[in-house]
Amino acid sequence: MGRTSIKNKLILSFLALLLIVMVVVGVVNRVANDFYLAQAISTALALASGVIFGSIFSKSLVKRLNDLSNVAKQVSNGDLSKEIPLLSQDEVRDLEEIFSLMVCHLKGMLSDMKNVSLQVQETNANLTQLTKKVLENSQKIDQSATAIAKGSEEQTLIVQKTSLKVDDGLKEMDEMLKQSADTVSKINEARHKTETGELNARKTLKHLEEVLKQMAEYAQPIYRLSRRVEKIQLVTKVMDDIAQKTDLLSLNASIEATRAGEIGKGFALVANEIRDMAENSKHSSQEIETLVKEILEDNKAVIEALSRSQEGTNKGREIIHGIVATFGEMLSGVKDIFLQVQKIEEVTGKQVQQMRGLLSYFHDLSRLAQANFVSTQKTTIATKDQEKDMKEIVNAMKSLNTLSEKMIESQERFRLSAGKETASLTATNGAR
Amino acid sequence: MIVADKAIEYVTFKAGDEYLGIETLYIHRVVEEVNVTPVPLVPTCYMGLMYYRGEVFGVVHAGSLLGNSEATVGETPRIIVLKWSNKKLALVPDHITGIWRVEDNKGGKASFRFQDYTVRIVTPEEIWEKVSGLSYGPHEV
Repeated sequence: MGRTSIKNKLILSFLALLLIVMVVVGVVNRVANDFYLAQAISTALALASGVIFGSIFSKSLVKRLNDLSNVAKQVSNGDLSKEIPLLSQDEVRDLEEIFSLMVCHLKGMLSDMKNVSLQVQETNANLTQLTKKVLENSQKIDQSATAIAKGSEEQTLIVQKTSLKVDDGLKEMDEMLKQSADTVSKINEARHKTETGELNARKTLKHLEEVLKQMAEYAQPIYRLSRRVEKIQLVTKVMDDIAQKTDLLSLNASIEATRAGEIGKGFALVANEIRDMAENSKHSSQEIETLVKEILEDNKAVIEALSRSQEGTNKGREIIHGIVATFGEMLSGVKDIFLQVQKIEEVTGKQVQQMRGLLSYFHDLSRLAQANFVSTQKTTIATKDQEKDMKEIVNAMKSLNTLSEKMIESQERFRLSAGKETASLTATNGAR
Repeated sequence: MIVADKAIEYVTFKAGDEYLGIETLYIHRVVEEVNVTPVPLVPTCYMGLMYYRGEVFGVVHAGSLLGNSEATVGETPRIIVLKWSNKKLALVPDHITGIWRVEDNKGGKASFRFQDYTVRIVTPEEIWEKVSGLSYGPHEV
């Protein structure tokens, strides 16, 4: 159905009424014979129709305006539950629609306000809890900051003490480095001396080898002499045996000569001579044996001396071999020590550098600890300020809470509908 | 050397701590390197038996029999082989010192000086008697 304005509605109604009047007048004129009567009746009918039409029309319009006015009064009293019936398509309808829209917006706004108030309250409650937590955390931060400040102070002290000790250690390491350099120099000197010692020992060994060779050459005639003298001794023994036999023979010859009596005197004489000769031969062989023994003893003593000398020389050679080997080992050991001490020196140098770096780090650390101490003190002050601010926030939130409660109270003065919106709002609040 | 008619020759030897002399007339031979076989159950001075040129001789240690010393001998001792009046005996001295000629022993001296020591003259019979006086003495041949 299209929109019809009041003006058009009035014109159309009037035209319809005029048509009806004209029809009625026409009928009346046909029925009534009297013109005037017919005119009078027509006029009366027209006036009556006009009055009826006017009253009906105005009544319907006023009624609608009164309805709107009543609803507006109820809205002003906070009752937003009333609805305006939309019956026509005229300008009043526009007013009704605008009013309905306004009420609807007002409802929404009130609902939003309530929601906002509830959310504000909820948020306020959360904020209160958060504020409490923040306060607690601030206190904890304050405590931690105090502990950190104390720790930083102790750390600063420890770092300073450690720095002093590291500094002392650095001085000692410098001293050690210097001593290492001296040690390296002395070990180098010892290495040169050991090399010289090894060279000298090798020379001595070479000379000793030559001496041994010469001694072996010198000993050969003595050994030959010894063997020959032993042969002489054998010959002497044979001579001695012969002399013994001769002596025995002469003894028996003398005995036989004695037994022969006068005849054997010449034989006895010969036997005596033979015995004397055997005796002389025996004496000579004994003297030779004595001499040979003496020579052998001397030779033996010489050989023993040579042997002892050779043994001594061999021992000396072994000792010198040992000395050469020892010098070699010493040299190797000194070289190893030299390398190790050089490495130690390098390592010590690196350690000194690292210690210096460490000392620098300790200084930085000390500065950082001091800065940390200052920062923690600032943090403590800030947390205390934050605590004050938080208390102010709490107070502000309390005020906000009061305001939101007041807003809810104000909103509760409005009755949105008979039961629908109230139920929905209650459900919404319950869910929240 | 001039030899007198009455001269007597003695073979002198050392036996224990004294020097003894035996007239060469009683000496059959002086030998060495002869095996002496020990005989059991005889006195210590009796060294055993010796076989020499077809005959067996009783061997007696002169030192332990006559000179009161122990019966010890060297490696190759010389043995004085005595034979007289159908008796025979072998005597082992410590060592034989030599033959001493005595020009005249009319007085029957029992000893004489030879070189630097005194030699006591012993007879084979004297030795035999000594040996016979032992527990198991030699028997006559």
